Amino acid sequence: MVRGILASLPEIPVQWVDRFGEDRKSETSKTLEVARFRGRFVKACPGTRFYNCCGYQILNFANQCSLGCSYCILQVYFPNSNVRLFANFDDLLQQLDDHLRTSRRKVHRIGTGEFTDSLLLDHLTRASELLVPFFAKQPSAVLELKTKTSQVDLLEKLDHRGRTIVAWSLNPPEVIDREEGTASSLEERLAAARRCQDWGYRLAFHFDPLLAYPRWKGGYAEVVDRLFSVVDPGVVAWISLGSLRFMPPLKAIIKQDHRGSTILDEEFVPGLDGKLRYFRDLRVEMYSRLKDLLLKVAPDLCIYLCMESNDVWREALGFIPAERGGLSAILDQKVLELLD
Amino acid sequence: MFETESRSIQLDQIDWNDTSCLITYGPLPHKLLLSIQTVGLIAPPLLQGKKNGLFRIVCGSRRLAACKKIGLDLSPCQVLPSFLEHQTCLRLAIYDNVAQRTLNPVEKSLVLAKMAKYLEEPQLVDEFMPVLDLEPSVTLFDRYLGLHDLEEMILDSLATGRLNERIGFVLAKQEKEDRLAYLRLFEELPFSVSVQEELVETVEDISRRENLTPQQVLSSKEVTTLRQAHESPARQRAQKIRKYLRDRCNPRLTARRERFAQETRQLGLPSGVRLVPPPYFEGPKWILECTFERAEELASRLRHMVLLADQPKLQTIMESASGVSSREVGN
Repeated sequence: MVRGILASLPEIPVQWVDRFGEDRKSETSKTLEVARFRGRFVKACPGTRFYNCCGYQILNFANQCSLGCSYCILQVYFPNSNVRLFANFDDLLQQLDDHLRTSRRKVHRIGTGEFTDSLLLDHLTRASELLVPFFAKQPSAVLELKTKTSQVDLLEKLDHRGRTIVAWSLNPPEVIDREEGTASSLEERLAAARRCQDWGYRLAFHFDPLLAYPRWKGGYAEVVDRLFSVVDPGVVAWISLGSLRFMPPLKAIIKQDHRGSTILDEEFVPGLDGKLRYFRDLRVEMYSRLKDLLLKVAPDLCIYLCMESNDVWREALGFIPAERGGLSAILDQKVLELLD
Repeated sequence: MFETESRSIQLDQIDWNDTSCLITYGPLPHKLLLSIQTVGLIAPPLLQGKKNGLFRIVCGSRRLAACKKIGLDLSPCQVLPSFLEHQTCLRLAIYDNVAQRTLNPVEKSLVLAKMAKYLEEPQLVDEFMPVLDLEPSVTLFDRYLGLHDLEEMILDSLATGRLNERIGFVLAKQEKEDRLAYLRLFEELPFSVSVQEELVETVEDISRRENLTPQQVLSSKEVTTLRQAHESPARQRAQKIRKYLRDRCNPRLTARRERFAQETRQLGLPSGVRLVPPPYFEGPKWILECTFERAEELASRLRHMVLLADQPKLQTIMESASGVSSREVGN
């Protein structure tokens, strides 16, 4: 993988180091750090006991993201602003294989988009060429590639056998322009989604973070309209809704590094997990409206809330996950339907 | 070590405008004046001869200022050779001071700012932050350096301990008019350091949302009225201002709290009993507080509560507080 990256970037200076130096946050991240990862590549998503967790598993092949979204929690998670790629994919695939063989779970939903954007560096790493065929051979596991880019070219020729779900985080164009750095535009994301649909992939969409800005009602309605004018609801595995939430230290970073951002203009209260969130009534209103918009177009869509309590679920979606076996079971069932 | 020469120096031979080695900041201690008046200058200050024939103060600026204030003309001094590099003199000044006392935040900032002319940041952090009893961290270094350019009023407050350095760090990021407005409020009313931090953040949030400057928020009619309500004790005025700003910053939460208060009043809780909703009206756990003096009193209040617990009114309050209306539950 490293040879491939170096070959595709012949003009870029390369430095071999024993340790990575300290990176000052104020500098624009221009360095790709490539390292051997000695820890566990597969981990459970760090949910919290206070909210309903989807039971996702994380495949961590890189840390940090260079898209520059104002609300990105990775700014707090990782003090270093450089993207660090873990290039020992042989170890990664071996660990993944061991995990899938030995785990007691019946269904595995595994994603690479927790600590980085899944496709941000795909044109360099060609990681999808390793991961997608690997998952194609798995009887009860799906890979979810979450992205805000439109870099899907490599996915076209891959033998995915329906076991890779390509997912996009969506927001209205004015939010993307103001808050999502160099991420692809809404139209570019939807065009990329359409290409993946045409290549037979299942798709997923994450309205996460939902942002309460003055025109949010109209803004999200337009996104839903645009989404289903491009994508067939029948190929959508699931859609998640999650309102903006962040650890308190992110507030200072947003103020300092994202001066044009307006996301701090709303009122926030500490949630049960200590993260700052919109006041619950506003969250419920946003979820209810999005649910209504989505189900109006596609009544059978699988919609879930990310990190929300039972009372918010009940009020926004009309049920709580426990009534249907738990959120993890709901999504696992959806995977089994997809794999049939 | 350096050879020094013992000399009596006329105070008008001192270049008082040369503050290049000066790292002391703050008022002259009264006891220093008293000491010199009573027994004279015990430890001679350290000076360095300059090309213009005057002397630069290296150590002992306050002692010399005290001599001047008392009206002395001459002072016994130690004089350093003029060829000695400025950085060396500055180090002498710093180490002499830190050996004798704890520097105040402004002085720490002065040390770092003056040494920054000679040393790279990593060396400064490694050598001088521990000398100043500070954790050797780049972030903290940047914060102390930020104090250096603050207005004299703020520096005076920091040097005398009326303003905590944590607040100094926060104010350093503000515009001049805003930080002076904060300073006036904090000097006027007794807020703890953590409440001062909270207030700056709250006012910033209000400013951003309402497109006002912090100074405009702090001089708004409502805040001014509360500040000038001198019939109330200062502590009470401080609490009212804090509450007013929090409420203004959190309109949804405030409206919900007011509605909840109104509903619980209508419920008719027995005296000594308080219903506490989940924090921020989120989460499943409610608290019922009951204070009592005698067992019969407890029994009576609990009997009353048992009756209320069966009433739909209580259920409605709990549902509306958590946002769940009975109409929608179970749909």
